[in-house]
Amino acid sequence: MSAAADSKRSPGAGQSTAIAILNQNGLNIFLAIIALVFIGFAITTHNYLTLFNIKTIVRDAALVGIMGIGLTFVTLSGNFFLLSMKETAALCIITFATSMSHDFGFVISLAGAVAVAMISGGLQGLLIGRGGNPIVVTLGAAGILYGIASWWSDNLVISFRRPNDAEWLGTGSVMGIPNITITFIVIAIIAELVLRKTSFGRQVYLIGANRAAGKATGHENRSMAIKVCMIASVCCAIVAVAFSAQMSSAQANYFSSEFGSSGDFTILVIATVMVAGNSIMGGYGSTLRTSLGAVFISAVDNMMVLQGYNSGPRVLSVGLMIVFSILVFAYIRRDNRSEG
Amino acid sequence: MTNAPWLELKGIQRHFGSIKALKGVDIQINRGEVLGLVGENGAGKSTLMKIMSGFDSGFTGEVFVDGRAVELGSPNKAQALGIAIAQQELSLIPTLSVAENIFLGGNHGPTIASLSTLSKLARPFLDEVGLNDIDPKMRVHRLSVGESHLVEVARLVAHNPQLLILDEPTAALSETDSERILNMVNRLKENGKSVIYVSHRLDEIFKIADRVTVLRDGASQATKQASELDVPNLVTLMLGRELSDMFPPKNLQRQGTTAYTFSDLWPDGLLSPITFNVKNGEILGLAGQLGSGAGEILAAIAGSHPVRGGQITDMSSGQSFLPKSSKVAITYGIAYCSPDRKHDGLFLGRPISENLTSPNLKRISDKGIINNSKSDRVSADIAESFTIDPNRLPHEASVLSGGNQQKVALGKWLSINPGLMLVDEPTRGVDVGARAEIYQKLAELAESGVSIIIASTDLLEISELPSRVLTFYKGALTSELEGSKVNTENILKEITKPESFLQLAGEAS
Amino acid sequence: MTSFNLKKITSNDPDLTFAILLSALVFAFFSIYEPLFFNINTGFAIMERFAVLGLVGLALTLCIIAGEIDLSIGSNAALSAVIVVRLTDSIGAPNAILIALAVATSIGLIQGFFIAYLKVRAIVLTVGTLMLLRGITLFAADEKTVMLTDFDIPDFIQEKMFYIFSPASFLVLGIFVLVALFMRYTKYGREVYAIGGARKEAVASGVSLKRPMMIVFAISGLCAGIGGAIIGLRSGTAQPLGLQYLLLAATVAAFIGGVSVLGGKGGVVGAFVGVLTVNFLNTGLVFNVTPAYIAQMYMGGLLLVVILFQNMSKVYEDKQQRQLKLADTDSFRQRLLKSFKV
Repeated sequence: MSAAADSKRSPGAGQSTAIAILNQNGLNIFLAIIALVFIGFAITTHNYLTLFNIKTIVRDAALVGIMGIGLTFVTLSGNFFLLSMKETAALCIITFATSMSHDFGFVISLAGAVAVAMISGGLQGLLIGRGGNPIVVTLGAAGILYGIASWWSDNLVISFRRPNDAEWLGTGSVMGIPNITITFIVIAIIAELVLRKTSFGRQVYLIGANRAAGKATGHENRSMAIKVCMIASVCCAIVAVAFSAQMSSAQANYFSSEFGSSGDFTILVIATVMVAGNSIMGGYGSTLRTSLGAVFISAVDNMMVLQGYNSGPRVLSVGLMIVFSILVFAYIRRDNRSEG
Repeated sequence: MTNAPWLELKGIQRHFGSIKALKGVDIQINRGEVLGLVGENGAGKSTLMKIMSGFDSGFTGEVFVDGRAVELGSPNKAQALGIAIAQQELSLIPTLSVAENIFLGGNHGPTIASLSTLSKLARPFLDEVGLNDIDPKMRVHRLSVGESHLVEVARLVAHNPQLLILDEPTAALSETDSERILNMVNRLKENGKSVIYVSHRLDEIFKIADRVTVLRDGASQATKQASELDVPNLVTLMLGRELSDMFPPKNLQRQGTTAYTFSDLWPDGLLSPITFNVKNGEILGLAGQLGSGAGEILAAIAGSHPVRGGQITDMSSGQSFLPKSSKVAITYGIAYCSPDRKHDGLFLGRPISENLTSPNLKRISDKGIINNSKSDRVSADIAESFTIDPNRLPHEASVLSGGNQQKVALGKWLSINPGLMLVDEPTRGVDVGARAEIYQKLAELAESGVSIIIASTDLLEISELPSRVLTFYKGALTSELEGSKVNTENILKEITKPESFLQLAGEAS
Repeated sequence: MTSFNLKKITSNDPDLTFAILLSALVFAFFSIYEPLFFNINTGFAIMERFAVLGLVGLALTLCIIAGEIDLSIGSNAALSAVIVVRLTDSIGAPNAILIALAVATSIGLIQGFFIAYLKVRAIVLTVGTLMLLRGITLFAADEKTVMLTDFDIPDFIQEKMFYIFSPASFLVLGIFVLVALFMRYTKYGREVYAIGGARKEAVASGVSLKRPMMIVFAISGLCAGIGGAIIGLRSGTAQPLGLQYLLLAATVAAFIGGVSVLGGKGGVVGAFVGVLTVNFLNTGLVFNVTPAYIAQMYMGGLLLVVILFQNMSKVYEDKQQRQLKLADTDSFRQRLLKSFKV
């Protein structure tokens, strides 16, 4: 056995064990602190820790969470993120509502929305896989997708009759839990299982960890980019369908400024993925984290609403959370990054 | 001018945990002198140079500049003392011009100046390194590799150092460009500067050095006048008798059947198509310096390097193919380890077990779902076979030492049960203990029937491990050595000053 | 000092040539198809648009040259607009502008600090600051669109000068010239190119990351501030969640102007041409009574076309490089063969 000196993680000369432990478990300690602070606030806010409120929190997290799970696949595989998510959702929601308004029924309408998502996601993934920068490609795609959605619908609201067979998703519930929440939980579970237990999931992590090594061992980003972009887009479709089901209508700008208090759905989703601690460079993280991150952000936002804050402070605090967590993760991971 | 050396390092030791990279190095260099520094892989050359240029301050020992004791705490300090180093990897900015690159970083250039002004200021430095015909306004990406290296040195010269350390300056260069580098070194010497010239190219060392210091196994072995040495002596000093125990005995008796033939293979960089074969259970060596074609052939077989044509035939199945990518090569049972494991040989942030199973996910999964017991078995088997501590399997690969990392980079290929294993630089950056284990394992693999082709610039390795060696020089095959003809002397000659070019012989007559 | 040789530019800088051609093409297209396009008032409108988009495009160009990107630039500009509009009534336009610029530049400096010192990637950080700044802006505007009470105050910035210019567009052109001189003639400007095009190499050469990074982001913040101030004064109102469209438009402009996602390429002249092109397109579409969302679609399409073109020219360049290398190899072989025949 060679006398190999492994483990750069052992404390160097002069470092106390406390600092060493901090460096090794920094991420988990940070998360634990956040949890504690949060619990402190939770206990002191009126009406916060009620079953109803908790269900509200999770339901509010659902839409952002589902998109976040889809985006996580893209991020984990080292393809950064997509700036075209809310526009994909816009096109899907128009597709769905148009189909519903023609009485094609839920299944066909859903299939239509998913098909649109897969095509637009696939095309973006194709460009990215061939070397296009994800930010630039999706920025351009966003403009195009939104344009198509608006043009197709003449920028008008499309409504479909109630009752319809999409209502179960939008407003229905099982045993007191909203169906949208159940969908979120099911997708979260499936996504985590896929990442952890399938060879596809393993490929996502490998390509994200080191694209060149992935190529050398037979896993190419060319096809992976297409797959993860499709997954992310399909999640956008699901969210679009769920939202449309809630409103029994659709308009191209539903996911734009007016959606949520933060004014930018795409940014909120990206923020969720990052606050949850997924590495932007890929190869580290999980959809479970993202799901918890979505719930966490929703929980904080909910608390602020209950405490009477307007949208300004709420957006501000989400922004603060994002920036803060970015800085902390950057500090914790500073050893793992090369120069620049 | 005093008799004391300009730079002296005494009793330098550097440990990394339990690995002793440098065990005791003494080295001096005088003004107006060229000192050659030689040693094989793992001897400690890079570690020593990092220390001398201030990039590594974790050593013990004394440093004197011009007789005064000094602290080489940081690269800036070293630069201030007059020590400059030109690394193997260029640090020029391709999108900027030559003149801009020369004045980049540091305070030796004007803050506000037009490109013309910078060009005028850069001229003397360019002349000093022999680039009289280069327009300083030209963008660096337009230069040849050799010219870029010279510009890199010009940049160092602009800081007016006393000592320049050149690390493998001609490794990737053509004959003409190498000559320019050597001329430049002479010019610097005439101007009273000191140069430490680190190189594997022993012929150049003899052309240029006044004295030569040999590093072996982390200690300075000897320092002699170049005039007192010749190549065989030097090689002996570098390699030492006892190190031959590192290598398992060669299986020279084996009369194997041909396993793979390579017909008219023409990778970019080779002067003309090459035809050769490898037998079952044989370890074939491709010897040659960087850019000679040896490494290019390996990469080309694996589909990682552009080719102009050629065919690979698997004699057992009769199939002929030419892989266009690693993915395709793997389906034919061909495994390829590049010389740069950090770049594409390892998934540093992932657990070692995942690294070991990465080339063959099909084997550890059923219908797309990973089967943990299969996965555990495969990684445990490979770990045992390459003497990697099985307790470490769940840890990230980044925690391993260089030697263990190389074992993972090599070992993972066992998961595809390769018929042909291609390894470029099997022990670069690997300590002596791990080297022996890797050689042992490669011999065992060959024993079990796998064909292995290795390429290496390390003389000892390429003469002791393979039973047959093809030698290359500047893109041409120069000889084929077998049996007792495979020794360091022959190989060195054929890769630096061949008398004939086997590959071109037919065309020439 | 520098010669302005047209042939030299086109051969040295194919990207710039492409940008100029594209710009001329778009201009010609609209001039032919929209009868009202080719006149002085349109020119004025184009230059007015140029004032704001030019600043943001310039800032983004610098960031991309440095190998980063500032996604928060729109939010920064919106904040500046809100500050200017809210404060003008109480302390007068000049003071309000000063405060807005100071805030915007500080925001840029702080971001630059984090990126340089904590080695956070700008693309990651600016996603967060984008939202953070929006929150601050909402706060500063009390969640609503703010308005001036006296709409005559800021008219001065819109006065017509020399047919198509105004104080605003002159100011911006002046900034372009200053930044161009900075990038071309100073050490600090070159450092920006260095850390973008080849960051590892730049650091290995002793270039500190911190100085050029902070300079670039400070400029970015300042430009966002001026741009927001101009918009706020010009329209007399400011929306806290507005100005988001600037990001796509400025990115398209930057890429037309020749930046590369890899950094280190591009320049102020390119940015100028890129912004003009986008402005021609925007203004032309307005003439066509095209709705905003269709204009966005053209922008998105244009961006994809530009990067496709960049990608194709890189593939072509790589092919040429390979041919050169192969020719080198072949000629070396010829020389060797000749030396045998001796």
